[in-house]
Amino acid sequence: MTLLDPTPATLADRLAGPPVGRSWADMDEFETFLDDGGIVEAHDDMPEAYRTEVFRFIELHANSELMGGLTERDWIPRAPGLRLKQIFLAKTQDEIGHAHLLYMVAADMGMKDREQMLADLFAGRTRFHNVFHYQAVTWADQIAIAYLVDAAAFASQRAVFQNCSYGPYKRVLKRIIAEEGFHMRHGEEMLLRIAEGTRIQHEMFQAALERWWMPAVQLFGPDSSPDDPLLAWHIKSERNEVLRHAYVQKYVPLLQGYGFDIPDSGLRHDPVDGWLISEIDWSELRATMRNGGPDSRRRIATAAGSYADTAWVRDALAAAS
Amino acid sequence: MRTFEVFLKKAGKDEFRHVGAIDAADAELGVTLAREAYVRRGEGDDLWLVDRTHIVVGPPAFVRGNHDKPHRHNDGAAIAERRRQQRETA
Repeated sequence: MTLLDPTPATLADRLAGPPVGRSWADMDEFETFLDDGGIVEAHDDMPEAYRTEVFRFIELHANSELMGGLTERDWIPRAPGLRLKQIFLAKTQDEIGHAHLLYMVAADMGMKDREQMLADLFAGRTRFHNVFHYQAVTWADQIAIAYLVDAAAFASQRAVFQNCSYGPYKRVLKRIIAEEGFHMRHGEEMLLRIAEGTRIQHEMFQAALERWWMPAVQLFGPDSSPDDPLLAWHIKSERNEVLRHAYVQKYVPLLQGYGFDIPDSGLRHDPVDGWLISEIDWSELRATMRNGGPDSRRRIATAAGSYADTAWVRDALAAAS
Repeated sequence: MRTFEVFLKKAGKDEFRHVGAIDAADAELGVTLAREAYVRRGEGDDLWLVDRTHIVVGPPAFVRGNHDKPHRHNDGAAIAERRRQQRETA
């Protein structure tokens, strides 16, 4: 006896099978739905172009959380003092946790499973944020990352969360953003401490700032193209250059207030537009995003090695069930 | 490997809420991993994991069929109008 068409399926079958949710006649109808604040769910019959673009974006985000978590991990043994070691342990767990949540959301889009996404990352076939392609030289670099880089990532993620049209992504972003908020406060506390420290500590952070200012500003990417599909489909809620400009307005005076120099000889203040930075040469970002950054090769090898080294844990868990 | 959907509830508050999913070899590991992935800062007191293969999904078109049933609501407008008229004639 069949009462319902289609017959109720399990969630697992529904996500694995063909889409059974809402469908749209064409791209115009779909875009109107998105413009009206519509939220797309995993089982909806979304246009393939949307599925591909959103999947790639979430995969990039997931990869970046994983690579960021591994960077934090490197510094746990070197963090000065027990409290900072605890903070770095917690942050590492947060970042790896974010990667996990995002890989689950990405996998449910039906394009690649987690194993494939990790294999592609370790083989250098996919991308992760530019800021994780550079080397952290001293503890001050780690502070610059915790403060400047996390703040840039936070600003760009918050802009995605604001108006995000893909429901499963928006829901995990809520948690991720809340936790990144704690990280930023940790970052500013660390900065405050080093800024008020000895002359050598001050110089250490200034040197780190010179290494990390540009990558942090570049994280927002070049000016958005007018036909960026991620803007049209309400994944990004704000243009790259607007986010970058807002970031500069906030962090230039903040860093100067702590007594540091912004490493940009062309930096100037305009009475109307506020702080303006020098023209950015985007070839560095393009090369970095193709895994050609100064530390890309070592970072990817470290990540792949760490995954290979822990294979026995996954094998043991799988065998125990 | 099993995939579990994760639900959380705070003690004495609201209903269970879906928070995401977790892959785990079995239920015991699922609970362990879900705690670490979803409940690191007191987000809930009660944790439910439901195997994805055990969740039955209602066909959306069937569910939506009940959305447009005005006779199941009453906005009270007719009564308010009647009372207003009574007040005016009194």
